[in-house]
Amino acid sequence: MTFKAKFAGALLATVMSTTALSGAFAADDTIKIGVLHSLSGTMAISETTLKDVMLMLVEEQNKKGGVLGKKLEAVVVDPASDWPLFAEKARQLISQDKVAAVFGCWTSSSRKSVLPVFEELNSILFYPVQYEGEESSRNIFYTGAAPNQQAIPAVDYLAESEGVQRWVLAGTDYVYPQTTNKILKAYLMSKGVAESDIMVNYTPFGHSDWQTIVSDIKKFGSAGKKTAVVSTINGDANVPFYKELGNQGIKAEDIPVVAFSVGEEELAGLDTKPLVGHLAAWNYFQSVDAEVNADFIKEWKTFTKNDKRVTNDPMEAAYIGFNAWVKAVEAAGTTDTDKVLDSIIGVSVPNLSGGTSTVMPNHHITKPVLIGEIQADGQFEIVQETPAVVGDEWSDYLPDSKNLISDWRKPMSCGNFNVASGKCGGKGS
Amino acid sequence: MGPRSDPLPALNEVGERELRRRRQSFFRSQGFRRGGTFRPADRGEIMTLKSLLQAFLACLILSFAAPSFAQSDPKPLIDALAKADFNEAEKLLGQIAASGDARVVPALNAFAEGDLYFRKSDNLVFIAKTAGSGFELIDPLTGASAGQAAKNAVTKIKVNNNLRRVIRSAMGGLTLLSADRAVRLQAADAVLRSPSPENLDLVEAALAKETDKEVKARMEEARAVSVLSSDRSIDEKRGAIETIKNLGGRNSLGILNSVSGSIDAGLKGDLDAAIAAIESEQQLWDMAQNVWYGLSLGSVLLLAAIGLAITFGVMGIINMAHGEMVMLGAYSTFVVQDVIRDNAPNLFDWSLAIALPVAFLVTGAVGLVIERGVIRFLYGRPLETLLATWGVSLILQQTIRSIFGPTNQEVGNPSWMSGSFPVGGMTITWNRMWIILFSMSIFVALLVLLKKSAFGLNMRAVTQNRRMASSMGIKTPWVDAFTFALGSGIAGIAGVALSQIDNVSPNLGQSYIIDSFMVVVFGGVGNLWGTLVGALSLGVLNKFLEPSVGAVLGKILVLVLIILFIQKRPRGLFALKGRAVEA
Amino acid sequence: MISGFVFRALEGKIVVAIAILLVIAILVPALNLLTPPDSALHIPTYAVSLFGKYLCYALLALALDLVWGYCGILSLGHGAFFALGGYAMGMYLMRQIGSRGVYGNPVLPDFMVFLNWKELPWFWHGFDWFVFAMAMVLVVPGLLAFIFGWFAFRSRVNGVYLSIITQAMTYALLLAFFRNDMGFGGNNGLTDFKDILGFPVQADGTRAVLFAMSAIMLAFCLLIASAIVRSKFGKVLVGVRDAESRVRFLGFRVENIKLFTFVVSAMMAGIAGALFVPQVGIINPGEFAPANSIEVVVWTAVGGRGTLIGPIIGAVLVNAGKSFFTGAFPEIWLYALGGLFIAVTLFLPKGIVGTVQHGLKARKAMKAAVEAEKGRDEAAPVAQAQAAE
Repeated sequence: MTFKAKFAGALLATVMSTTALSGAFAADDTIKIGVLHSLSGTMAISETTLKDVMLMLVEEQNKKGGVLGKKLEAVVVDPASDWPLFAEKARQLISQDKVAAVFGCWTSSSRKSVLPVFEELNSILFYPVQYEGEESSRNIFYTGAAPNQQAIPAVDYLAESEGVQRWVLAGTDYVYPQTTNKILKAYLMSKGVAESDIMVNYTPFGHSDWQTIVSDIKKFGSAGKKTAVVSTINGDANVPFYKELGNQGIKAEDIPVVAFSVGEEELAGLDTKPLVGHLAAWNYFQSVDAEVNADFIKEWKTFTKNDKRVTNDPMEAAYIGFNAWVKAVEAAGTTDTDKVLDSIIGVSVPNLSGGTSTVMPNHHITKPVLIGEIQADGQFEIVQETPAVVGDEWSDYLPDSKNLISDWRKPMSCGNFNVASGKCGGKGS
Repeated sequence: MGPRSDPLPALNEVGERELRRRRQSFFRSQGFRRGGTFRPADRGEIMTLKSLLQAFLACLILSFAAPSFAQSDPKPLIDALAKADFNEAEKLLGQIAASGDARVVPALNAFAEGDLYFRKSDNLVFIAKTAGSGFELIDPLTGASAGQAAKNAVTKIKVNNNLRRVIRSAMGGLTLLSADRAVRLQAADAVLRSPSPENLDLVEAALAKETDKEVKARMEEARAVSVLSSDRSIDEKRGAIETIKNLGGRNSLGILNSVSGSIDAGLKGDLDAAIAAIESEQQLWDMAQNVWYGLSLGSVLLLAAIGLAITFGVMGIINMAHGEMVMLGAYSTFVVQDVIRDNAPNLFDWSLAIALPVAFLVTGAVGLVIERGVIRFLYGRPLETLLATWGVSLILQQTIRSIFGPTNQEVGNPSWMSGSFPVGGMTITWNRMWIILFSMSIFVALLVLLKKSAFGLNMRAVTQNRRMASSMGIKTPWVDAFTFALGSGIAGIAGVALSQIDNVSPNLGQSYIIDSFMVVVFGGVGNLWGTLVGALSLGVLNKFLEPSVGAVLGKILVLVLIILFIQKRPRGLFALKGRAVEA
Repeated sequence: MISGFVFRALEGKIVVAIAILLVIAILVPALNLLTPPDSALHIPTYAVSLFGKYLCYALLALALDLVWGYCGILSLGHGAFFALGGYAMGMYLMRQIGSRGVYGNPVLPDFMVFLNWKELPWFWHGFDWFVFAMAMVLVVPGLLAFIFGWFAFRSRVNGVYLSIITQAMTYALLLAFFRNDMGFGGNNGLTDFKDILGFPVQADGTRAVLFAMSAIMLAFCLLIASAIVRSKFGKVLVGVRDAESRVRFLGFRVENIKLFTFVVSAMMAGIAGALFVPQVGIINPGEFAPANSIEVVVWTAVGGRGTLIGPIIGAVLVNAGKSFFTGAFPEIWLYALGGLFIAVTLFLPKGIVGTVQHGLKARKAMKAAVEAEKGRDEAAPVAQAQAAE
């Protein structure tokens, strides 16, 4: 039976070597950064693009001479839409590959999964997707929108320029829509909207049969008041949702739908002619009229060798995060985590909508909020643009978080400072 | 804010609310806005529909009274749109409509469609049509060509929902007297959708001239909704309520609801009765609508499962790659449409008909390869086919992802699959209806093939008793191969249909595979009728649970019910009887 | 009687495997904690958690093998038992956070605070007590398996039907746990753990102990499984697998035999889940995904079902491959994984261990035949052994 012992030995050796292998090639003249996006599984549909963006940004930066005189090297791994695997891969990137920073994650679950790893191993994550807020980690930078950078301005726009008085909050049943809808409901009620004028509806992931819900929306909309739908429906389920809307003849002039998870990439899978006029709120649209944006789009199309590829908001967030990191590293003169964490706060970099974005002490950034209407060519027409808004990590409209602020500069260095009790650590009791 | 200078107030003691307040005021001073705020809409600026139509009507009456009276030229108004923001554009639209000049209709149309551009050199406004790499410019009033322009020489005039709404009602008024019946009908609809007392005289004038029965009826309804919000006599209003009540439907309910706050006290009772009547009628229709939704969901399940009913039900292969066959069918549709778009755009309405045989052949061929390459070594070991086909499905998914990329692909709906038509108080969407018919015809075709054709006979013989069939001279390996190819091909054409209602992405198959297995197992393995009844009843059950418990819980309950049902009838709804079962 | 039970379990291979596991349980943490980081023998903490994860998966595969390889029940829902065990542990770990959550609420976990929950749901009570939580790790999966099996085996649902409804079960649980209203944190799941029994989960020492616990639990469950399959009961079990009707006609209560095995297996899966959670730091509904359960089946098949060592080797091997490919060749790992499934089913239907064993037996049989020609009759026991395959 000795073969078994040998076998087990060989096995252990294989495993060991695989883990050691990827770290073995570290050269001194490069700075490594990790790219942690799912390339397979359910989230590949959204995340693969961001991996490509990161590779493009690294390539561009290297053409400009790299960072601190060293070339950048992107280490790409595939966490395969599997949340525990995210944590494993994050650990591998930080402790085996010794990356200086990681750019990655899409879903909140994946971010929650890697958060303890980044805090434990003291590394930096740039998270490029809009999310529900209610988090501020010393080691994470949130370059996507917080609810106040997307949801609240969108609702304002509908109330002001479309005179909407009745609201359907429709979302996929997961944490981002639940939280955003809680915030929106509190916000709307604080503006005097009656509870009976708000309808909340949740659907499972990947929901594809929208007949009942669309007709419920119609029903809700026939109460004689101007009605709008605020959609936090998750990526995949949107295509059948919009197809059903278009087919049941719900026009944007009658019941407009404003979405927070529908961008150019999602619309690329749709015939948008029946959807003209429905809205989306983001911090960036491909149709933004700015020179920096035109350059970026051109670069992207060249890089992907595909003239039909579109750009979207999370790509801009990745762009801002990457450039902010580069600038912070240049300012600190090192990639050392603590030094970079100190130097990055206050860093301003150009965003793609023609302005600049600044990294705030709460590790969120400033960006303008754009409201766009869907066009027949799958692009958005910008109908409103606000001045830059600071991402609000702790919502003012949730009872337990309205007293919290985050400030990662010394001497406070706290992610959940309670201004009521004057202590760090939530309730601070 | 520079990276090194730190203008934020230093934090000394433990903070208080003051800290937060100060920081916010700092942000504000820097031009940032923390959190959104409602700015009360400037009612003075937004011209209401009412005032717009008032102005328009005044003009129109004027023009009726004195047809020779010189009209104001709308051209400068249209050109002014070039530099107007949304609020100004709304005012301008009011003036343009008030000109009463029917020549503005094409320009308004183009504006709503987003085809109105202005030339940067002279700020003149044109309707632009894509021509080659640039635009052909068309004069907004005369319709005469004004030459070509490069893309960057013109700028699109922005339009939003609000403006589109204004345009829609303006167009309604402008076209009520059009010579074209369809246009008049549309105009009456537009008035119907935006009731306002100022429309009244206009509608009545149009009504007097109208001869077409359908248009007349629609205009009557438009008149009724206008009467409701006017200051006409109570009797007239009572008549209007009656008309709207007879019209029925969701829209009427909306109209009645919207006036219920302001109606004369004497009419309150009539109004409430009308609302109740419509609501109770609507409730019946809602039931029917729900059954329809259930059948429609059931037909989708049937489509997804019917290929599996052959590969799994008849052949006993736990075909986890079934979903990927559906996906391949959907991608075939995408490729066919892509080719058609590039080469023969006028054939687009036929794209699905062309895609059907293509998808069938592609997926059938892939199925054949899978059977010959993998599955034929695994007959008699059903649980192991699960593993191998799962492997196949991973490879197929990744292949598609490598070729087409991970993102959704656009599969268009041909015109006959778009939109909906009303049946009483129900709305039937064309795509759902075609899918129901399509799935039924596939079912029937398959049934005929299995029961009436020689191939079907061979197939049944092989699955029932392989050795005996073999000794009768049937080439069992080829029957197996073609049965599997048939099942895969059917899954492929199901993919063509599903591409019309769902995402076309590499994950498409994954979302149907579990449901498909549930349907086949619930219906009874090896029985096509079982699959039909299973699919439809699960669809209807799901739709009846959804309104009361929500979509998420509904789905969970259906799964639990299936599990319980299998305990009661371990071999499904329509179990195969006989000795073969215990083998 | 118990010693006899255990003694029977200790057949050669199992002794070796258990010994190896125990050596690993001591050696790996020792090399991690006691050697300097630059030493050639040093095992980084990263690798310790990774191996710990593999061992949990191995335990899950072993649990599945017990019902599939020995009892013929192909469960496509074993991930559910694993996840339930994981949630029970996760709930304990959440309660240990206490007021260190971001909102500093001493009672409610963070996700309940920002979704405005006012009090702890009833099913969360007791989980602050380690012993209770550990009992739940066994009881919840065991109870679910019992209820599910009680109905299914009694109505003689078997074969493919059983597989499909186990899949329906895990799918329904997936959807249920996704719901935020369930009170399990929705899709974000339970995360950001701080302490286990007062020790910080992130500390190297805790990780080493968790690793050792995983290895020891795996060894222990291997012993139990071995004892079960080598007992008389085990013989009946194999009988149920190979000819259920005949066993029933012989007077055995087949449904009870199946039920017992199913429940034991579910509990093992629960233990695996409970050990998994503190090592990876998150439990969320993704673990209920039917695809995960199918993957477990694949590990078992790769290693060799119907052998107790096989699933362990299969689980470690496939997951090590996954770790390697997703890092080194992310684009092609699905091809590799898919290819592996097909290759194993086609060319190694008995799995790695099964094939090797078969080869060895064939050689022995040949030798025996040669020797039999010399006059010594040894063919009979070999034939018997083969018949048991």
